[in-house]
Amino acid sequence: MRRALRLAAPALPLLCGGCAPAGFWLLHPRGPVAEASLQSWIVDTASTLLVIGPATLLVMWAIWRYRRAGGKGSYTPGWSHSLPLEITFWGAPLAVVIGLGFYSVKGAFDTDPAGPGVMSRTASADGQKPPVNIDVITTDWQWLFIYPDRHIAVANELVLPVHTPVRFRLTSSTVATDFFIPQLAGQIDVMPGMRTWQGLIANQVGTYDGFASDYNGPGFSWMRFQTRIVSPAEFQAWEASVGKAGRHLDYAEFDRFATPTINKYDTTVEFSAVQDNLFDHVMQDVMMGKTYVTPADMTEKKSHKLNNGQQPTGRPLDTVKDERQ
Amino acid sequence: MTEVQQHWDPIFGRLTLSQVPYDNLIVCFAFFFAATLGLVILGALTYYRKWGYFWREWLTTIDHKRIGIMYAVVGTVMLFRGFVDAIMMRTQQVMAAGPASPGYLGAEHGYLPPYHYDQIYGSHGTIMLIFAATPLLAGFMNFLVPLQIGARDMAFPYINALAFWLTAVGAALTMLSLFVGDFSHAGWVGLAPLTELPYSPDVGVDYWSWAIQIGSVGTTLGAVNIITTIIKMRAPGMTWMRLPLFTWTSLTTNVIGLTAFPVLGVAIGLLSLDRYFDTHFYTTGMGGNFMLYTDLFWIWGHPEVYFIILPSWGIMSEIIPTFSQKKLFGYPVMVAATLSIGCISWTVWLHHFFTMGAGPIVNGFYSVATMLVAIPTGVKVFDWALTMVRGRVTFPTPMLWAVSAIFMQIIGGWTGMMLAIPAINYMTHNGVFVIAHFHCVVMVTVFAVIGGTTFWFPKVFGFTLHETSGKWVFWLLVGGTFIVFTAMFILGLTGMPRRLAYVPYASWWPILAIEELGVFVDIAALGAFIYQMWVSIRDRELNKAGRDPWGTSRSLEWMTHSPVPAYNFAVIPHVNARDEWAWRRDYRLHHVMPNEFKDIELPVNTPVPMFIGICSAAFGFAMIWRIWWLAIVSLVAMIAIVCLRSFGGSTGTTIPADEVRRLERLAARPSMRSRPETAIPEGVVVLGGGDAR
Amino acid sequence: MIVAGLHDDPPGPGTVLWADIDHEHDMMSTRMLGFWLYMLSDSLIFAALFAAYAVLSYPTSFMGGPTPRDVASPLYGYAETVVLFTSVFAYGMVMVKLRHDLPRAAIGWLLVSFLIGAFFIGMETHELRDVALAGGPPQRSGFLSIFWCVVVAHGVHLLFGLLWMLVMVAQIARDGFTQLVTYRLANLKVYWLYQGLIWTFVYTFVYLRGSI
Ligand code: HEA
Ligand code: HEA
Ligand code: CUA
Ligand SMILES: [Cu+2]
Repeated sequence: MRRALRLAAPALPLLCGGCAPAGFWLLHPRGPVAEASLQSWIVDTASTLLVIGPATLLVMWAIWRYRRAGGKGSYTPGWSHSLPLEITFWGAPLAVVIGLGFYSVKGAFDTDPAGPGVMSRTASADGQKPPVNIDVITTDWQWLFIYPDRHIAVANELVLPVHTPVRFRLTSSTVATDFFIPQLAGQIDVMPGMRTWQGLIANQVGTYDGFASDYNGPGFSWMRFQTRIVSPAEFQAWEASVGKAGRHLDYAEFDRFATPTINKYDTTVEFSAVQDNLFDHVMQDVMMGKTYVTPADMTEKKSHKLNNGQQPTGRPLDTVKDERQ
Repeated sequence: MTEVQQHWDPIFGRLTLSQVPYDNLIVCFAFFFAATLGLVILGALTYYRKWGYFWREWLTTIDHKRIGIMYAVVGTVMLFRGFVDAIMMRTQQVMAAGPASPGYLGAEHGYLPPYHYDQIYGSHGTIMLIFAATPLLAGFMNFLVPLQIGARDMAFPYINALAFWLTAVGAALTMLSLFVGDFSHAGWVGLAPLTELPYSPDVGVDYWSWAIQIGSVGTTLGAVNIITTIIKMRAPGMTWMRLPLFTWTSLTTNVIGLTAFPVLGVAIGLLSLDRYFDTHFYTTGMGGNFMLYTDLFWIWGHPEVYFIILPSWGIMSEIIPTFSQKKLFGYPVMVAATLSIGCISWTVWLHHFFTMGAGPIVNGFYSVATMLVAIPTGVKVFDWALTMVRGRVTFPTPMLWAVSAIFMQIIGGWTGMMLAIPAINYMTHNGVFVIAHFHCVVMVTVFAVIGGTTFWFPKVFGFTLHETSGKWVFWLLVGGTFIVFTAMFILGLTGMPRRLAYVPYASWWPILAIEELGVFVDIAALGAFIYQMWVSIRDRELNKAGRDPWGTSRSLEWMTHSPVPAYNFAVIPHVNARDEWAWRRDYRLHHVMPNEFKDIELPVNTPVPMFIGICSAAFGFAMIWRIWWLAIVSLVAMIAIVCLRSFGGSTGTTIPADEVRRLERLAARPSMRSRPETAIPEGVVVLGGGDAR
Repeated sequence: MIVAGLHDDPPGPGTVLWADIDHEHDMMSTRMLGFWLYMLSDSLIFAALFAAYAVLSYPTSFMGGPTPRDVASPLYGYAETVVLFTSVFAYGMVMVKLRHDLPRAAIGWLLVSFLIGAFFIGMETHELRDVALAGGPPQRSGFLSIFWCVVVAHGVHLLFGLLWMLVMVAQIARDGFTQLVTYRLANLKVYWLYQGLIWTFVYTFVYLRGSI
């Protein structure tokens, strides 16, 4: 099946040479997981076309040939049954569905968020390297990425080494959403009081957009983060620099961070000295009933007057900083 | 009772003047539009002294044909509303692309702040699926099913009226949310736990949930009615293998409705308990489990999309043979395909949340189950094509709609097959690719409904629609749809998520602009449609339709007069063939009319269903605004009305045989009367008549 | 190409074009069918509630509060079962009296069935009050929410059944066994029996399963 991708590969740049900058991310995977998805897509499109194509042509042919005005077909009003044709029309789709069924299950294993099959099977030695672990917590409406092994964290930005497996644990402190970096890994639900997983390997240095993809409140459209894929050396330097960040992250600080905030200006924040097991703590608390209430003026509102004609955005991140000093 | 964040008092509940968004330009505009329209209608009723007529013939009617028409009117109004929502969404996204995009009317980008945009797709989706497509199809089923099986009426005319009124109340509550309070921001699916009180403290979710609850009680009652009608009320000779395909799809779809809507009721009911009583069904903590909601919702939600597609296929299966002048190809296979789609639709719901992390085995199972639907659907596509093969195909507007719906089905189904593969779904879930997929398939419903409307319009109102402008509507709407959703598929390749009030990437703007262009074409289509209606009504005397204006139609409803008299058939036909009307035409029996008439019993009109509807509206409104006293009063009133009515016994009126004869003579068109005598073939028993006219 | 059986015969001797009678549909069986269909959709409500019960009766949903064992006493539940089925039995007697055309006796049995049914509601209320007082109101945990919901949903169905019985008492007294009254009594029988059936599910799933 990788051959299919190889065969298709030369065609792709022709089709969309300049479209990567235009944002056609799904066509330009930069890691094995996203690649596997694209490959599935190509195989699925081609094999369904085996039946869909003839079906479409049959409809068109029937219209053209048997139109009353000028069509060449002869009129046989009694013709309403044919066993061979019926068998073909049940059989051919069935064959395709059976084939695709196997392929679909295989693809589900390959891209399984809890442990993508393709990650351990990558051709290079990438898959064998020790993984970078990251704990992801979503709030209303920001991303918090904790690097538990280093006790550092960064909000609304993700920095990862290239050619290294990355394992995410994800949970939410409020409602559910999806974690998505189109060019690197597919979506996985991020859910309050629950833990999900995702994994990826990045093949190429660069900056990739990631965002929340399941609606979770008015801050949704602004809930984005950049994923910076850097060389291992740069990554270490970055880790060290964040380790010196002035702001620390304990549970109380997290509580403040998690108040509803629309991240309008793409503010990123770095934290050092992250409390141990913050992830579990947050998850546990949500399970025990902790909620971060959305103020009434930050949900459904058609009236402009209520907020002096302003779009309410919650507390800007800077004020969080102010409180700490 | 749960504390709410804002004001509450015992008399008005949460209702305050500030809940009326009078300062919102858009809402004000909508209000003046609605108010003007309302005043014009009320004024006209008063001026032409039609109140009595309106009350007697419409509001209190329990005639399945009138109820069908009222369903269709509600559905059409809601389709317009849904369309306006669509225009607003598309316009917002094209205006709000890129960080540099300016903002108007208090919005950061575009002209709608997220607080408003989010309500629009919620109401668009809810309205289109539940209060436009469903009532429109219910309208078709109400009007056609009794006619197609040769019955005088539904099994339960009174419940039928009640079902209509409840649906209408659901739609009315959704409309009311525009002017009083807000609608849900959590999409038509009611994303839990976002719909929980801490995250949606306003009345929006309550509007959404009560509108759906009340409307779906109506749908369930309607399902009971239609299933019973099809099982019990068929004319003699109308065996199962002679049922017209539309009736088959109605039966299947209503079995889905009957069994799926109660699950929705539970899904939303438990949510309401959370919101009103502080329970913990779907809360994020305290032992709640919101994935339970997601499951329950989609156990209904997926069958619901087949609920709206099956009767649409039924409509196509009636139109295509008519204009191919040929039997439907593979009728038994079509029936089998319909039933199997109905069954499989119950087993695939998890494909709406592959990304929840259920693991490859579970996902793989549901993936395969989903793809199985492609087989019977494919069979349908092939059989439609083969119906045209060896036929004599003509293309008046209904046929154009039906054929283009096949293509929409193919594109929509093809992309559905992509979404059904978990590996692909992880990339496309929650993206505009999904939006494009399902708009293709729901547009099958829209196309079929418009096609069906042009097809049966003469049967309903007695005159045909203007053909040329109908073709304009067709080409414009097909063109617009093609532009919008082709662009949206392309945009889907970016990975752009759905429900964005602000589109952060300016590079997507050109595609959004193309979509906007398509929407303009759609608007032109709507203009053409209004023009078509106007011309057709103006020239209605010129376009009078006989019993069978198409000349090639096939099923029983074309045997009776257009418009259909209150009693449907002066004498109930005895069915001899699958396409009885075509059969009679083929054997030159179609001019044989009965001439011996009997008294006809019809149920008598009653305002009770409407009163119950009014009580349910008051109840819904009271629950939304937490006005407990009103909720209790209206609930008690509702129960009391039901109990009291049961003491009334059922009453009916009788149309005497002489009157039937007079009406029949009157209704028979002159053209039909002047036909030369047609000899009745030897041996054909024409009971109760035999007068060839 | 035309397969036998799929083909419609041409008109010939014995072909009938119009029905000779105005096709009297059997009102009784039509209405019964309609009611059975309604019961089917009602069953799906309970099916969904039981599914929710299954999901929410894991330890994670107890939240340290009462567990199924604490809130449902199988013995008390057994007593309730006996009471409810006595009421169902009494209703059976109503149908017997209907067959023998004894309206007064039927009213008598209806009232008996009503009173026993009302007694069941009383027992249930008493039980739920105890649960609430012992720290188990529905707001306490996900499990308690669904526990209350299932029991109360069944109870509300019973209340409507009781109301229906009163209506029927009045209608028998006024009209005797007319066709309308007869089919309503028959439907009420289905309804009442069905509520008994649902209760056995509640008893098995909630009371018995909870106690192990
Ligand atoms: C009328 C409505 C309708 C219909 C008919 C369908 C039909 C199908 N849908 Fe669609 N769907 C929706 C309405 C509909 N859908 C809606 C509203 C949503 C989104 C809801 C939301 O999230 O808001 C959705 C979402 C949706 C998803 C979830 C996407 C996501 O959120 O991630 C999936 C995934 O599997 C899916 C798949 C399918 C499939 C496989 C079919 C199949 O039934 C299609 C079968 C048809 C064909 C395949 C074409 C004809 C066949 C042939 C010509 C020959 C045989 C072909 C082959 C063997 C390939 N749909
Ligand atoms: C039946 C269902 C239906 C229909 C017909 C439509 C029609 C359209 N929808 Fe709809 N849409 C949904 C169901 C539907 N939609 C749902 C379920 C959602 C998801 C909501 C959510 O996220 O929760 C959605 C979401 C949705 C979005 C995504 C919003 C977002 O995620 O940010 C967009 C964006 O462009 C959109 C646009 C459109 C457009 C341009 C049309 C156009 O095709 C409209 C074309 C115009 C018409 C159909 C009217 C023409 C009428 C006539 C000509 C009169 C004829 C009438 C008679 C003869 C009776 N829709
Ligand atoms: Cu889905 Cu947790
Ligand atoms: Cu689905």
